[in-house]
Amino acid sequence: MHIKINQQVSVIACYSTKDRRFTPRRISWRNKDYDLGPVDYYHSYMDGRERQHIFELCDKECTLWFRLRLDSLNLHWTLEATHDGNS
Amino acid sequence: MVDLDLNNKQPMIMHVDLNSCYAIIEQQANRLLRHKSIGVAAYTTPRGFIIASSYEAKRQGIKLMRVQDAREIDPNIIILAPDPEKYFDAHRRFRAVLERYTDLVTPKSIDEFIVDFQGSRMVNEGYDLVDVGYRIKKDIKDILGEYVTVNIGIAPNRFLAKVAAGLDKPDGLNVITATGINNVYGQLNLMDLPGINHRYKVRLNLAQIFTPLDFLEAPMYKLKHEVFKSVVGYYWYLRLRGFEVDAQELATRSFGNDFAVHEWTTDREAIARYIMKLSEKTGRRLRRHGYQAHGVYLGLAFSDHTWLGKSRRFRESIYSTQELYSHLVKLLDVMVLPASVIHINISVFDIEPITPIQLSLFDGTRLDSRSLTMATDEINNRYGEFTVVPAKMANMEHIIIKRVPFGSVRDI
Repeated sequence: MHIKINQQVSVIACYSTKDRRFTPRRISWRNKDYDLGPVDYYHSYMDGRERQHIFELCDKECTLWFRLRLDSLNLHWTLEATHDGNS
Repeated sequence: MVDLDLNNKQPMIMHVDLNSCYAIIEQQANRLLRHKSIGVAAYTTPRGFIIASSYEAKRQGIKLMRVQDAREIDPNIIILAPDPEKYFDAHRRFRAVLERYTDLVTPKSIDEFIVDFQGSRMVNEGYDLVDVGYRIKKDIKDILGEYVTVNIGIAPNRFLAKVAAGLDKPDGLNVITATGINNVYGQLNLMDLPGINHRYKVRLNLAQIFTPLDFLEAPMYKLKHEVFKSVVGYYWYLRLRGFEVDAQELATRSFGNDFAVHEWTTDREAIARYIMKLSEKTGRRLRRHGYQAHGVYLGLAFSDHTWLGKSRRFRESIYSTQELYSHLVKLLDVMVLPASVIHINISVFDIEPITPIQLSLFDGTRLDSRSLTMATDEINNRYGEFTVVPAKMANMEHIIIKRVPFGSVRDI
């Protein structure tokens, strides 16, 4: 089920010069750490003059999907939504 | 006129179609949804309308329909709200891939492109378009994700290229040449042909045309004077034979927005508030594209399945949201509402590029209205849509959300 969260979360991310990609690797949400799998879709959009970066990906066990937003103005991460793959 | 043969020209037009676009992008973005029945609906409520469904849902017959009807077919279908910014991003990346091959790339909608290879570098260097098609498929997977597939059709004209792209879904690549046209038409029904709707099918049937092959064999005179009774018949005659009649791009002639009302109402004040928000959205688009208008249209659909539409033209130009809103409310004031309003549609027409302001003697402080509009547009550009809004739009932030466009891609 798709659930809107909209909560700030702690994120560990890394940048690779090899494939020139910035990737979230782990998030901490509701006192639990989730190791993240590959980014399945990344896009960005302008909200006014601020760019918002959206990363959509699952945890490594493929049990939960996350939609993470990185605000380029303040570099805050927000967990916007989750989905467990069921209706 | 003498009847024509089929167009024997080498196929140089490619139609690239990202089928089930919104659904497949969602499945790419969320791997937990892959190989499942999903639908993207304008609203996820039972009366919301599914605008795209995954192949898994389509196989069960779930296409364009209400969410509640889809759930009757498949109670486990996953319904998602649209994510326009993501689809716009996919469209831009899709386009960037095609522009690596030629600059003659024409978007037909958010998920369909026409690529004209006539005179292109690829063709001049001796590349086979089928090989180019497979390279495009791979490039699209690389840039959008491994789950994304496209259909490609190659033919001498746009119509046949689209037919070819629809032959072998979801991951096909087909070529139609003059020698293969009869074979292709032989596999199809009339309504499989792009542009043939139920109304056209009835017309054709009345003229004893029941299959695409009958359609192809019909003489030009019959199509022009008996079936379509206009030049449309002549265009169909050429189109079916592989001659190009669809290459002309239409200029922008209007801007509009519509809204399906959640809480059906006869309250004119409530309807006026919806109209205000639609006016702001339409006004912003009009101004962003550098136009002003001389006509407005208001259409209302009612719960008793009736509808009303009224329009009015003006000598003075319409530029600001306030001007647009006040004209629309005047139209609303003269409408008699037979039942609750369930759908509101507004548009502006008779548009022209913005010109230096011609002040009218009787317009009062119109210059101030324009300056105010430019200032609020600037603020909204800087801080995000609907940062500054007319008071009538207070507390309407989540009403009339951004929608995904059908057809036009001018706002992407």
